[in-house]
Amino acid sequence: MNLRSGRVFRTILLFACLLLLLVPLSRAEDYDQIFSESNEAMGRGDLPAAIALLKKIPVSKGEDNAAFVRSRMQIARLHFALKDLPAASADAREVLAIYPDNSEALNFLASVKREQKSRFAVFLEDCLRFLPNLLKGSVMTITLVFCTMLVSPLGGLLIALGRLSRFKLFSTLCWFIIWLFRGTPLLLQLFFIYYGLPALGVTFKPFTAAVLGLGLNYSAYLGEIIRGGIQSIEHGQMEAAKAIGMTYGQAMRRVIIPQTYKRLMPPIGNEFIALIKDTALVSTIAMVELMRSADQMFNAYFNITALILAALIYLLFTTIFTFIFEKIETRAGIYENR
Amino acid sequence: MKTANQPLLSLKGITKRFGALTAVDAVDLEVCPGEIVVIIGPSGSGKSTLLRAVNFLEEIEEGTITFEGSEVGYLRSKKGRRHLDTPLRICALRSEIGMVFQHFNLFPHMTVLGNVMEGPLTVQKKSPGEARERALDMLAKVGLSEKRDVYPATLSGGQKQRVAIARALAMRPKLMLFDEPTSALDPELIGEVFDTIRALGKEGMTMIIVTHQMGFAKEMADRVIFMEAGSFVAQGTPEDFFANQMEHDRIKSFLTRIL
Repeated sequence: MNLRSGRVFRTILLFACLLLLLVPLSRAEDYDQIFSESNEAMGRGDLPAAIALLKKIPVSKGEDNAAFVRSRMQIARLHFALKDLPAASADAREVLAIYPDNSEALNFLASVKREQKSRFAVFLEDCLRFLPNLLKGSVMTITLVFCTMLVSPLGGLLIALGRLSRFKLFSTLCWFIIWLFRGTPLLLQLFFIYYGLPALGVTFKPFTAAVLGLGLNYSAYLGEIIRGGIQSIEHGQMEAAKAIGMTYGQAMRRVIIPQTYKRLMPPIGNEFIALIKDTALVSTIAMVELMRSADQMFNAYFNITALILAALIYLLFTTIFTFIFEKIETRAGIYENR
Repeated sequence: MKTANQPLLSLKGITKRFGALTAVDAVDLEVCPGEIVVIIGPSGSGKSTLLRAVNFLEEIEEGTITFEGSEVGYLRSKKGRRHLDTPLRICALRSEIGMVFQHFNLFPHMTVLGNVMEGPLTVQKKSPGEARERALDMLAKVGLSEKRDVYPATLSGGQKQRVAIARALAMRPKLMLFDEPTSALDPELIGEVFDTIRALGKEGMTMIIVTHQMGFAKEMADRVIFMEAGSFVAQGTPEDFFANQMEHDRIKSFLTRIL
């Protein structure tokens, strides 16, 4: 009996040992089973069932909680998909309770927080994040616009008067300038001035190159507009001015050109609005202006808000310009209404 | 050297061609100080071109223009080619010869006063005060003082032409040229312009007037000239012209068409 009982005991012990060996094995197999079953449930679209299955995986007292973490993060994602945001963050917190530094859980919690805010609040937050850089870029854009607006009407007037000149050399030269700068892309002109001219020994700072390129290009366009304006003034005006003894220059300055202002405002306003947008091209020659800033923000955060914001700033500028030019046009033509 | 009877303006052999067309064909004309010459004739006869040539708005191919005893306006290059004198000298001449156009050509961006001041101010470099004073005098002369601050767009045709006359007079010209000054006017507005011109004549202004208004020619002219196809066909005092030259077929047919 003793001997027998001893054998039995030994057998039981052996089984126990076997069981002990088997239990962890079988538990891991169980978890795999649970994950695949829950995947099947997800495949069917039955997310609550998948969550219920995954919940069966308990937190274990041992060191290895990989299955638990995996299951809870999966549950969190499922809750997120079900738009149950409080439950989703609770799931992530369960993981953080054990592993406070788990980056997956931390990132998840952050995106749940973003999701919990309204879209508008998120947009505003992004705006605040991008605005300082975009405004810095805008200052450069406006500086470029104003410099070009200062240079190009003078250049345009010179080109226009040159085209109308009796001196063949001068009129041909101005025709050539218009032909060249209207006939090639502005982008190419900027490249040529900034990257090309140094090869010929002429080097410009980016800003100088930008103003030079924009100024020449817009002078060519304005030259044709101003010439059209001058030629649209009735011929009798020049004759009347000459008849009281004015020189050609006096007649132009006092009689002809002042009458072109009202007619020139709409097309010149058009050109300057196009200019605001064309300044975006100088971002290609190492200038950081509005477009370049927006592009940098967009690439750094892969966030479309930066682009939307830049578009809004461009629209603001063009709207202000449209308004100003309408006002100037009305004022320039005041003598026609009185 | 001036003599009492020296003509103010003397034209000799004035010829102006536009391509194959000879607009003015070897015209001679002498205008004495204080004289009022009226040129009539069908359209396209070269009257306006002749008048514009006197003010150098047209460059003539042949002939000489003598103003106040000296030949003016043209230079000859070494090769013998003639061309207009330097711009400054042409401008100086023009400022002594006033011109009034058919379509007024007022400066629309300046007020009435601004239009009349413009010559003294810009060409003669008078001070704004002096130019203004002179302009106000001229506006009073044409009876438009109360319109000084309005823009030309608000004036009637007759008023515009009177402002144009004031603008020319503000330069204190020695000779006034009128190029069909009433042709663009409604009939009821013609009178006020001729009243203004008549008043000028009484002051002794030397004038050459191109017009279709025969009544005015009869009343005001010292001499009436009939021009056709670039030449003077007939001329004479109004009495002589309308009494005797009427025998001339072409003048007769022209006048019957006009009257």
